[in-house]
This record gives sequence, structure tokens and C-alpha cells, in this order.
Amino acid sequence: MWESFIIQPMTNLLLWIYNVLGHGPHMFGLAIILFTILIRAITWPLNAQQVKGAQAMQELQNDKEWQEIQKKYAKDREKLAQEQMRIYQTRGINPFASCLPTLVQFPIIIGLYQSINRAMASSPLDMLKLARTASTYSFLNFDNLIPLNSKFLWMDLGRPESIALFGFALPTLAVIVALTTYVQTKLTMPPSTNPNDQTAAMNGMMSIYMPLLLGWFALNFASGISVYFITSNLLGIAQYAATGRANWRNLLPGANKKSSTKK
Amino acid sequence: MNMKKITLILLLVLGSLVLSACAGGNTAVNTWPGLAADAERAYLSAGSFVYAVSLETGKEVWRYPEAADGKHIYFATPVLTEDGQLLIGSEGTNHAFVSINPETGKDNWAEPFADAKGKWVASPLVLNDRIYAPNTDGFIYVLDMKGQPAGDPIEIGGALWSAPATDGTFIYVASLDHHFHIIDTVNNTTIEPIDLGGAAPTSPLVTENGVYIGSFASKIELIQQSGEHEVIAEAVDWIWGAPFIDGETMYYADLTGNVFSFDLASGTQNWSNIKPDGPIIAGPLVVGDQVYIATESGTFFALDKDAKIVWEKDPGGEKGNIYTTPVAAGDLVLVAPYKGDFLLVAYDVEGKQAWTFTPEK
Repeated sequence: MWESFIIQPMTNLLLWIYNVLGHGPHMFGLAIILFTILIRAITWPLNAQQVKGAQAMQELQNDKEWQEIQKKYAKDREKLAQEQMRIYQTRGINPFASCLPTLVQFPIIIGLYQSINRAMASSPLDMLKLARTASTYSFLNFDNLIPLNSKFLWMDLGRPESIALFGFALPTLAVIVALTTYVQTKLTMPPSTNPNDQTAAMNGMMSIYMPLLLGWFALNFASGISVYFITSNLLGIAQYAATGRANWRNLLPGANKKSSTKK
Repeated sequence: MNMKKITLILLLVLGSLVLSACAGGNTAVNTWPGLAADAERAYLSAGSFVYAVSLETGKEVWRYPEAADGKHIYFATPVLTEDGQLLIGSEGTNHAFVSINPETGKDNWAEPFADAKGKWVASPLVLNDRIYAPNTDGFIYVLDMKGQPAGDPIEIGGALWSAPATDGTFIYVASLDHHFHIIDTVNNTTIEPIDLGGAAPTSPLVTENGVYIGSFASKIELIQQSGEHEVIAEAVDWIWGAPFIDGETMYYADLTGNVFSFDLASGTQNWSNIKPDGPIIAGPLVVGDQVYIATESGTFFALDKDAKIVWEKDPGGEKGNIYTTPVAAGDLVLVAPYKGDFLLVAYDVEGKQAWTFTPEK
């Protein structure tokens, strides 16, 4: 089911874009970028809903009434939960509004990632899988299309990227992946004035772990995946900035702490 | 709040697990085994190890390396040289190219090969005391018999997945970039590449009549030293495994599962409507009066030369597939299933199972 409904359509779409672009040098990288843009555009409403939900939850954290309730019922968790539900209802907040879209998008992101990997077919068995995937739909002249030209700018999209400089192999793409992930995570973190805000603490952790995790992937795996990560991150940043809620101050180290202590 | 925290942690953990599981690209290479044999042993490259298996007993004689190393992965077909070396390159992140002593299983030399940017999917060719090692980075690296560079790498272009072949003077190599290349090793020149119309992951077959090569264009071409070429036979689907020539007859198979017997003298098919039981990636093997065909379904067929099934076996078991071309060794025919119950199975010509090999952990 996963193969039929996610991997096959996505991989064929990616190959179709590559075919339309003329399947020459650099075109597979461009196809990954266009493919990512297309998928992000399709999932735009979900992203917007997620951002809106996260924002509502964050605003609640900074709300005076809610902070007082937290203090008042700090030792009575049952009552605190009841009050929390009451506030959700009265203010029309859906606590799952930020989580559910993420969960729905998760298969799409994984599918996107697997499709790029599948299309790059780095071993004979991978090539066989790709052949099977592509033969599902007849609109592609697959015999003529493969192997995909994996050259993109200075990279081979089928291999981890690095630039040789002064005798060192610098993993530039891994650094860019980590940086854009950091920027995206930080931008989407609204300032918190609530010292008991667990979400803010969690976001703080995410802003460290996610760039490291994705940077590690970029360092070790095919650079085509890094192109996807970077495109996806930049689109995420652009989308959030378009809402006018991007918190650029968060990019400065310690910005959160300063805003908390001042208030 | 706790709900959100748990969800975020779960997403992070799940994400890292799924991403690492499906990343595949450069570290977790996985494909079908490579198989070769001499008079005493079978040599099987299957993941972390190259195994030497006694043809007499089916027992492991040695494995290389002695302990698994995640950076070294072997799937290319090992090559035995006249001076008694077993050559194989790694498909792992460490692009090592290794010469193993077939008697002991110890390495004669193991070059880390930092120059090669790709993996060693293809087997090397030895010609005039030179090792020609094709890499997925599109270069053929030229080494002496001690593993030292013995000339500039030859740029072919396109990933090289198949072993080159030679007639003693020229080297013939097919590339995934749809082209067939002819290299004159005496004058150090190359002939204009020939467009095959599709990727060619298979090795060329050199004969007195010229060089035969199958491709994903579903055609067999006959190519001359001069570069002249013609399509002599066609298939229904991709031709993956190398054709086999027995006298005046060429046998080949395709991905749809058709087996063909082609008469080279008349240029006509003897038979082409044989479809044993599913896609065929392995090349055919002819020994004596029997044509051996291994299918992806995991079945191993012995046909007579009129396409009648003499016997069929299931060395792959319920879940195994066969992608590796079978190898004849003495009185035995060896089959290496992929993900089967056994790593290697030996049959005699009557289809009686001689032994099976499963490595001890």
C-alpha cells in the first residue's frame, strides 16, 4: 500500500519532471527542487494550519489568565487539566491543531525522501526496484531516461558532498542543511514569557537536535537528499515569513532568555 | 503539553529511524551476490564477506575479512588471475580494492583507493599484467599486479557496473550511460563510443565474430573492433545478464522472463516463446546438453536445447530470489540465491543437490 500510494506516484512524478527538464546534466538536481516545491505547495494548507495551531498554543502560554491558573492549581493536576480544557473550549483552541497536520505530513515527507533515494538507484538491486516503479505508469520512456544524470552544480547527487579546500574535504552542503534547519526551527519559535513553558523548552531542544540530526544525514548520505532538505527548509522559512510572524530575533543566541528576563 | 512533548519526541525518533533505514544511498548498499569458482573452491561475495567454499564438501574454507567491517561491502564478482590472486573491490564507503590469496584468504594487498570516488560494482579485467578496474565514478583505474597505479585512469563517462572484456589487444566495456567503449591498449586510444540506445549493466561477450552485448534497449548488438555494429537479435524487455554462446547458438533472457535461443549462422530464433516462471536477471549458462536458467522467483531450471524442461529446483526457498548468473565448477552447477534459505547451492547435472552453504555466524 505504501509502495502503491506513496512511493510509485512520487517517484514517477519526480522522473516525469526530470524528463520534462530534458534529463541532461544538472537537471536531476533541478527536478528535486521543483518536486519539493510542488509537494510543499500541495501541503501548504496543512503547514499553514500547523503554524496557526502552534501559534495559538504559544499565545496561550503567554496568557496571564492561564499562567495564574497554572500557579493556582500547580499541585492539583486534575483540576489543572479541567481548567485547561475549559480554556481550550472558550477560546476555540484545538490542542491537536499543530500536531495532526505534522502527523499527516510525515508520510509525505518520508515518501518524498524515499522517492529521491529510489530514483538515484545506486546498486543493481536499486535499479531493478526503480525499473519496477517506473513501469507502473506508461507515460515515461524509462529505457531512455535511465540512468539519471546525477551531476548537479559541483555535486554528484548520488554521493555525499564535500569541497576540497587546502587539503580538507569540507562538507558544505551538510553545513547549509544544519544552518537552514536551525534558522527554520528558530524562526517558528515565538518568544515565551512563561518560565514554566514546557513547549518553549521542547522547542529549544528541537532547535539543537534537528540541525544536528539533519546535518549528520547530509554528511553521510547522498547529496540529493541534502538538496531536498535545503529546499524544504528554505520554503518553510519563506512560508513562515509570509505569515508575518517570523521571529528573526530568535536567531540571535540567548534572545529568548533576554526577552524572558526583561519581562 | 505532555501530549505535544511526547508527539515531538516520537516524531524525532521515528524520523531518524525511518531516514536511516531508507537512506541506503551510500552506506547500506545491498544487492545480489557475486560468484566465481576454480577447480577446488567457489568464491562468493555476499555483503560483509567474501567466502571461499570447498566444492567437495560445501564447507567454508575461509572468509575475508575475518571480522565484519561496515565500511567494506562485497557484491562484485571476484576475479581469479593467472598469477593466483583473487581480486575484488568494495561497494562500501571505504572504496578498498583487494587482492586475496585464494589459498589462505589473507590479503596480498588492500588499497584504500582514495582516488576513486565511486564504488566497485564491476569486476576488474587483467590484461598484460595490468589490472583494469572499472568504478561507478566512470573511470577505469589501471593498476599493476601489486595494486599500484600503473597508468592514468581511463575516463569512460557514466557509471560502470560491468566487467570489461578483451580480445588480447582491445578492451571492451559497456557503461550505464548507454554507450559501448572500445579501448586500444597498445596505442592508448579509444574508438568513438557506440550508442546502444539503453544502459548496459552487463559484460560484453568476446568471440571470433566480434563482441556481443545486451542492453536495456532490449537488443543484442554485434560490435567489431573497428566500431562497426549491428543489432542482431531482440528481446521483449531489458537484457540484464550476459548472453551465452554455445557453438552457433546464442542464449539470452530478458526481464519479462523470456528465454531465447538464437541461431547465429542464420540470424533467426530457434525458439523464443519460453517463459519459465518470471523475470530473469541472471545470464544463462550452458553446460553439456543443458541450458541453465535462474529466475527472480528463485527457481533454477535445466532445459534441453529444444527448450524442454529437464528438471527444476527451488534453491531460493520460499522467499529467495536468484539474480546471480549460475557458475559451472567441475561436475557441479552453483547457484547463489539472494535472501534465500542458503547462500550457495550446488547441483549435479541430473539436478541432485550436492550440498548447500550457509555461513556460520
